[in-house]
Amino acid sequence: MRYGFAIDTKRCIGCHTCAVACRYENNLPKEVWWNRIMTEGGEYMDIPVGEFPNTRLSYLPVACQHCENPACVKVCPVGATYKDPETGIVRQDYEKCIGCRMCMAACPYTGVRSFNWEEPAYYTGVAFGAADIPVHEKHVVEKCTMCWHRQAKGDQPACIDVCPERARHWGDLDDPESEVSRLIASREYKQLLPEEGTKPSVYYLV
Amino acid sequence: MADFSSGAVLDDDLDLSAAQGRKKARAAAGAKAVSWGGRGLNVAIGVSAVVVVAGLVLWAMQLSGGMVQTGMRNLNSWGLYITSFMFFVGLSAGGLIISSVPKAFGVAGFGGISKVAVMSSIACTVAAIGMVVVDLGQPARLWELFAYSNLGSPLMWDILVLGTYLILSCVYLWAQVRAEAGKVSRTVLRVISVVALVCAVLVHSVTAWIFGLQAGREMWHTALLAPWFVSSALVCGTALVICVAVALRGAGYLKWEQANLVKLAKLLGAFVMVDLYFFGCDLLTEGFPGGSGLEVVAMLTTGPLAPYFWVEIIGCAACAVICFTPALRRGGLLVVGSLLAIAGIFCKRVQLLVGGFQLANLDMPGPLTAMQHPAFDMGLSGIYGPMVYWPTPLEFGVTLGVVALGVLVFLLGVKLLPLRPTDGE
Repeated sequence: MRYGFAIDTKRCIGCHTCAVACRYENNLPKEVWWNRIMTEGGEYMDIPVGEFPNTRLSYLPVACQHCENPACVKVCPVGATYKDPETGIVRQDYEKCIGCRMCMAACPYTGVRSFNWEEPAYYTGVAFGAADIPVHEKHVVEKCTMCWHRQAKGDQPACIDVCPERARHWGDLDDPESEVSRLIASREYKQLLPEEGTKPSVYYLV
Repeated sequence: MADFSSGAVLDDDLDLSAAQGRKKARAAAGAKAVSWGGRGLNVAIGVSAVVVVAGLVLWAMQLSGGMVQTGMRNLNSWGLYITSFMFFVGLSAGGLIISSVPKAFGVAGFGGISKVAVMSSIACTVAAIGMVVVDLGQPARLWELFAYSNLGSPLMWDILVLGTYLILSCVYLWAQVRAEAGKVSRTVLRVISVVALVCAVLVHSVTAWIFGLQAGREMWHTALLAPWFVSSALVCGTALVICVAVALRGAGYLKWEQANLVKLAKLLGAFVMVDLYFFGCDLLTEGFPGGSGLEVVAMLTTGPLAPYFWVEIIGCAACAVICFTPALRRGGLLVVGSLLAIAGIFCKRVQLLVGGFQLANLDMPGPLTAMQHPAFDMGLSGIYGPMVYWPTPLEFGVTLGVVALGVLVFLLGVKLLPLRPTDGE
């Protein structure tokens, strides 16, 4: 079994709903995003590239790519980041992390790993989101967990259900009958930085 | 002392009567060494101890208030501490290599500075380990490195090799002192020096691999990095030994012949040339295909890292000129040249560390927050246009504290250990 995502960039409207759902579900501290909607375009967010009328604008939701060959897992000196052998999910153990940030240096996907540079603080002043998520800690590295806690209950990751355009799909990449496998088989797709040899588990349908 | 014609190492330790006689002489010399150092040394020790304490206070502030007080964030997740770590690992090389090569190969050494050189290695290694510790977010979990070691991680290799290196340097220094007292045989000393030499080469290679094995950072990912780290280490390490030896000679701590200084200077010149040659090879290999490697070359030569690049190139070239021109090989000028080389290698460490973060693989605009970069409100061009990282005063303070720890270790060694050359040298 190898869980992964298929994200339909033709359907993504850059609404950030999946990113917000991720923040809510995982009680992310302020200033922290695990899932960011990047603009494939100009210099700033939501700005197209090119000269009118030949402009181009599209969106790319980017989070941990849950690589089959993860650079972060190899370099962690204490095994705080590791690949779950059953699901292929790249996990992060906050209680074990020594905060050396070697994984952040090794990961080629700029900015998907996030370090808690200060004591986690919240805009609301109270904890929200799911009750069974691990408590956020100062000075450790975090990232997308593929909503590990929801999978234990048989649910999909929080970013999947909320997508208003149904651009996000999640499932077992090893099962040829799964929705993600069928989408990847029937559509053209791209992956981020395939030249790095990390074999990411996120497929962007184009 | 590295010269094997000197009495201390030539004699077998089984020759007890000679050893006994020598022991008395050494004991007297040791007492002299212990008593060396006037008020100046004591003041220097006091000042460095105060700076260490100040550094500890700042480190406590960093841990309690959070590393948000540093210039590091998600997009530039390492900074001055890891730069200095690389730098001090390099500095530690020179002393040990200069001291152990002559012994390991049985050739003439550099005259009487062997023990002082190893002491400088020990001090630099302590500083290097200190730099890693202050960089950690959770230093209280350091024990996990030994409980849950992931032996596949280059960082784990480095911790193991660096620890071994420190212990070995201490053993090596102790063995030299004991050999002079006739308690350690020449063969044993020679074996220890060979092991120390291998360990010194390993420690630089492994430090290079922390960076060089990361395919995700264009600037770092080159097979040349490990040999290049060894050559850079030889440059700044030799330069440090020259500075220390000239300073101690000036202070009257030891007598050191000018011929030995010239010998060391020629060696420094050769190391500088090798280091520059490696840099040239790397730049050509990066730039020639004209692909993404060209960005690395542009970043270094004309981009945000250009000041560091040119200080390194010009400083190292000037050092080589001083080392290779007989008329310029005077004590003072050689110290200037050595300092230029040390500054150049520090600039190289800055280029390497910042350069790894300066070129983002995914440079698309998206939501930016204060946790991603201190200049998050300036957009991508505000983040990547200038240098992507600059330390805060707190980082400078903590770094200074760790440097002071290294200085303190060295000065205490000078004050308390019998590091002065013995009569035979």
